[in-house]
Amino acid sequence: MKRTDALVNVEEVSRRFALDHSAVTALDCLTLAIDRGEFLAISGPSGSGKSTLLNLIGCIDKPTSGRILIEGVDTSRLSSSQTSVLRREKIGFVFQTFNLIPVFTAAENVEYPLLVQGFSNADRRRRVAEALDNVGLSARANHRPDLLSGGERQRVAIARAIVHRPALVLADEPTANLDTRNATQLIDLMRDLNRTLGLTFIFSTHDQRLLEHTPRIVRLTDGRIESDTLSEISSHDEVLASSVS
Amino acid sequence: MMKFLLLAFRNVFRNRRRTVMTLLMVGGGVAGLLLVGGFFAFMFRGLRESTIRNGLGHIQIFNAEHFRRDEVHVLDTGISDWQRVAANVRSADHVRGVAPRIEFYGMLSNGVKSSVFMGTAVDPEAERAMNFSPRIASGRDLAESTSGEIEALVGTGVARSMSVKAGDGLTILSVTADGALNGIDVQIVGIVNTGFKDLDDRYLRITLPSAQRLLQSNRVTNLVVGLDKTENTDAVAAAFTPRLRGLSQEMTMKKWIELAAYYKQVRTLFSGIFLFLGIIVFFMVLMASVNTLLMAMMERTREIGTMLAMGTPRPWIVALFMLEATITGILGAAVGLIGGNLIGVALNASGLHLPPPPGLSTEMAFRVLHVPALMIGASSLVVVSLALASILPAVRASRLQIAEALAHV
Repeated sequence: MKRTDALVNVEEVSRRFALDHSAVTALDCLTLAIDRGEFLAISGPSGSGKSTLLNLIGCIDKPTSGRILIEGVDTSRLSSSQTSVLRREKIGFVFQTFNLIPVFTAAENVEYPLLVQGFSNADRRRRVAEALDNVGLSARANHRPDLLSGGERQRVAIARAIVHRPALVLADEPTANLDTRNATQLIDLMRDLNRTLGLTFIFSTHDQRLLEHTPRIVRLTDGRIESDTLSEISSHDEVLASSVS
Repeated sequence: MMKFLLLAFRNVFRNRRRTVMTLLMVGGGVAGLLLVGGFFAFMFRGLRESTIRNGLGHIQIFNAEHFRRDEVHVLDTGISDWQRVAANVRSADHVRGVAPRIEFYGMLSNGVKSSVFMGTAVDPEAERAMNFSPRIASGRDLAESTSGEIEALVGTGVARSMSVKAGDGLTILSVTADGALNGIDVQIVGIVNTGFKDLDDRYLRITLPSAQRLLQSNRVTNLVVGLDKTENTDAVAAAFTPRLRGLSQEMTMKKWIELAAYYKQVRTLFSGIFLFLGIIVFFMVLMASVNTLLMAMMERTREIGTMLAMGTPRPWIVALFMLEATITGILGAAVGLIGGNLIGVALNASGLHLPPPPGLSTEMAFRVLHVPALMIGASSLVVVSLALASILPAVRASRLQIAEALAHV
């Protein structure tokens, strides 16, 4: 089901991991198209292949067979350094355990992707301030991660993921280490950024409360797509209202 | 780039206890090298100056024949017109004085017992003018040649062997320039301790006119030139070359380093020991640092995975680890420089002395010189060691598989 206008095209992708005397198939001939501006959840039980699929879309792993296209570029044909460039320019990452650099302040963590991309000082300052403002953490800019709460850390991670305005933000179980309140606020923030900035979000989760407020849900079972459903919920206000209730 | 440097600097202090241990290890290596090297430098300088002051001088001028053939008779290859040669070189810059010398040998006797001596005849005033006076253990130095008693200094070994002291007399016998046997009676005015036992057992020193009378010759063996500073030796030697041309005899000169065989042997030996110590410190720092940096890499596996996921070029990861190691090396070197120099100052103030080394008869002062070249060398050594030690962990870190690194616990 290839669509030439899709942001991400996953075409008959399989990923097998070799063990000592056997092989495990994490993804089995999976095909998926994701459009620009989508807010998509990948759900499924543990071991269903959620993280593997995100790793492949994020170009931090390579498929055993099949191919993945991002903005029409076949990522399997890219060299290591080209993949690196694609990741830093097109993709933002949010991790389950936040993965902030502990010796950097919140602002410096957000600044890091811009540093890697060679943005000027002035540009970096402006974008960092803007990104921290987007996630509501301007007042905590100079705090190191160990002085921030879990929710704040994940918001810094989101600011870091969006600061360079990537085409795609990948979040692996972003709410897994957060309490319900922080988890709800975070998904609300991501949805808000998706709507206001037009950023494409793909995240893995098996948190049913979050799935209820996600417009498109791809359910995986044993490395295959069990269902790919679109719901009516798309409004920021609805998410918020539902979370509060 | 400043942010990258800042990241490296902060990472150095991430695990403070481990960093402090590393700094102490690196600093200890630098301090050790500074102390040992500083003591060796003091020893070299002391040996150099004592070698020069014990009579070698800074430059010696000879009849060129002296090095071409063996003498048939004493002073056969000596300098005949030595007053003119001395006048020619005395006016050069940095020259403190010129002293004529005669080297001769023979027998000395107290009437009961005889012994071989190695004699030197000197102009006492000229020697004193250059601070080349011998170390008198008892009695006094030679006076300017006067009529009356012929004065002599003997070594402590000679005095003990011949059972004489200052004020006693001895007879010395030698072969003249014509090959005849001649003898003179001398009065011992002082006992000399050169610091070298073998030399003290054969040492005899008389005035130049006394020796010329004994040897029946007006020649001298050589002219010893003393300078204001040892460091000026090369420049003065170059200035001497034109001044030694056009004389009745062909002249040649030797710088002190060409004549100081013992000094060169000692220096070579101790330089080898120091090199060995340097190699030990290098490998000690290298091995300990590889271990520490590998531990740091393992602890930061997930963070490195995150940085790589965000598109950080792999060479940056290598550079980051090497930068952190280099910063650690620089800080460790600073700790070592401060510590080593402070310990050196304390040791110098303590007035510590070492027992006499083999072949010497006096104890040796323990001093540590503060040598800038040594400080730069020792610091560079540890910085390079740490930078090299970081290569393996840095390359390993840069080659991490991102997905595996992110899943690292």
